[in-house]
Amino acid sequence: MKICMQPSNMARCEIGRMSVTGQYIPGDSVIHRLDPRVKIISTILLSVVVLRGPAGVWIVLSLLLMGVIAIAGFSFRILTNSLKPVRFFLLLLFVLHLFFTQGKIIGPLSWWGVSVTEEGLVKGMTVVWQFCLLIWGAAVLTATTSPSQLVIAIDRFLKPLKKIGVPCQDIATMAFIALRFFPVFLEELENIREAQAARGAEFNTGGPLKRVKTASGLLIPLLFSFVRRAENLAAAMEARAYASGPRSYMKDLRMAGTDYAALAIAILLTGLLFLSGRLL
Amino acid sequence: MIKARDISFSYGRGQDPVLKGISLDIPEGGYVALIGPNACGKTSFLRHLDGLLLPDSGEVLVDGLTTRDPGTLKKIRQLVGLVFQNPDTQIVGTTVEEDVSFGPGNLNLPSAEIQRRVETALETVGMERHGKRAPHTLSSGEKQLVAIAGVLAMNPRYIAFDEPTANLDPTARGRVLELLKELHREGITVIHVTHQMDEIVHADEVLVMSKGTIVGKGSPGEILPRIEWLKEVGLDAPRVTELLWRLRLMGADVTPKALTLDDACENLYAAIKHGAL
Repeated sequence: MKICMQPSNMARCEIGRMSVTGQYIPGDSVIHRLDPRVKIISTILLSVVVLRGPAGVWIVLSLLLMGVIAIAGFSFRILTNSLKPVRFFLLLLFVLHLFFTQGKIIGPLSWWGVSVTEEGLVKGMTVVWQFCLLIWGAAVLTATTSPSQLVIAIDRFLKPLKKIGVPCQDIATMAFIALRFFPVFLEELENIREAQAARGAEFNTGGPLKRVKTASGLLIPLLFSFVRRAENLAAAMEARAYASGPRSYMKDLRMAGTDYAALAIAILLTGLLFLSGRLL
Repeated sequence: MIKARDISFSYGRGQDPVLKGISLDIPEGGYVALIGPNACGKTSFLRHLDGLLLPDSGEVLVDGLTTRDPGTLKKIRQLVGLVFQNPDTQIVGTTVEEDVSFGPGNLNLPSAEIQRRVETALETVGMERHGKRAPHTLSSGEKQLVAIAGVLAMNPRYIAFDEPTANLDPTARGRVLELLKELHREGITVIHVTHQMDEIVHADEVLVMSKGTIVGKGSPGEILPRIEWLKEVGLDAPRVTELLWRLRLMGADVTPKALTLDDACENLYAAIKHGAL
């Protein structure tokens, strides 16, 4: 009996890990303690420089990100881990640019009328690098900021829209609940999968069509379970006096000296990097 | 005081009523147990106490405030806390601390006050060392304790527990029951819904519900020995009470009044001493 249980336990661990990759890694570094709004703005500025900035700055940005990762006390594995889910997309992006960019053909690398060009090689590499920088920026943001802090920050950013009737508090709560129930969702999926596997369903055999078919059998029970959960959760929230309207948070956001300093550095760097492109 | 005045309720028109004219008073500082078989309307009744459900007719008054007035609903929900059966679906936060802060946050309290309340509530339930943990890493018993802390953080006067031990293992169940007694000692009015008869022996008053009406009320000592009547309603007496009752049926001279194992031992010991067994 014990031996039979092992594979399912392993699958459970895997799912547990899944919900952790690319997510918040608790810590007490300067980066962790920064106001989430500063971190969000800095990440947006980084993206702007990556997409619109001059070509050379990417090296500077990469070094900068590595510095931030070091200060946050993370291992550099975060760089490869965060790329894992999109590795095939990045590869495709590279290959497409490699073959479909007009330019000087690299002699021996040519098959059936498609050929690798020098421009393609450069373009492919830069586009992939750009993407990597965007993903790394987002990964550092989510790894150093707890979901609830992000949600409060979003709530504060949306505040001006409240005047035109946007229910920003409700949007923030929705985001909050989605974050809370993501691991529960995975657990439930695993429970249903196991329950069906125990009754003879085979998920990892057969052709792709058959696999889709057996996997779709998970959908209905999952949906049922979540509608029921949602009903109960709504009742529990209401019972704790949840209603549309002003809410307060346990940890309110307040900009401290370091936050202003960090914001100033981010803005200054953005300006400098754009300027350097002009001058060089 | 919570007053229910002749409340009737059904889930939608044309459906059989779930509650049929319930009237009762829950005095402040009491420990009221509400028992009844499954689907007798216990949960629906509880949901009326803080206005999650509104009666089709009749009225619920909490310290004089009616649940029908949307303006006072927030105050009522602060006064009356509700702890649900399934701890999984009542935890909202992504960490324990955050979840406990949800209620006071809804009351729009200042951050410092929320933090103070979260600390006190977690200490009361003995979870102060788990504040940063994610809810899905907690055991069922711990989740239920967090859910109770979440209600405590709103400083309620009444807490209604809807079968709070139904999903728990025996150890966790004992811990939650102990907590209920402690809260009652500290002055919180406890309304405890259950169908486990051995959980009601500490109550001041027991209400027996069947098919949407209150069919009996009294102290545990009055209700529990009425074993045949309880069976008719669809409930079983605690085993010790039933044992004494059976002995009596067989002609032994024992009083079938024991509620706990200690009571029963004493009772039997006395009977043996007098040669009645």
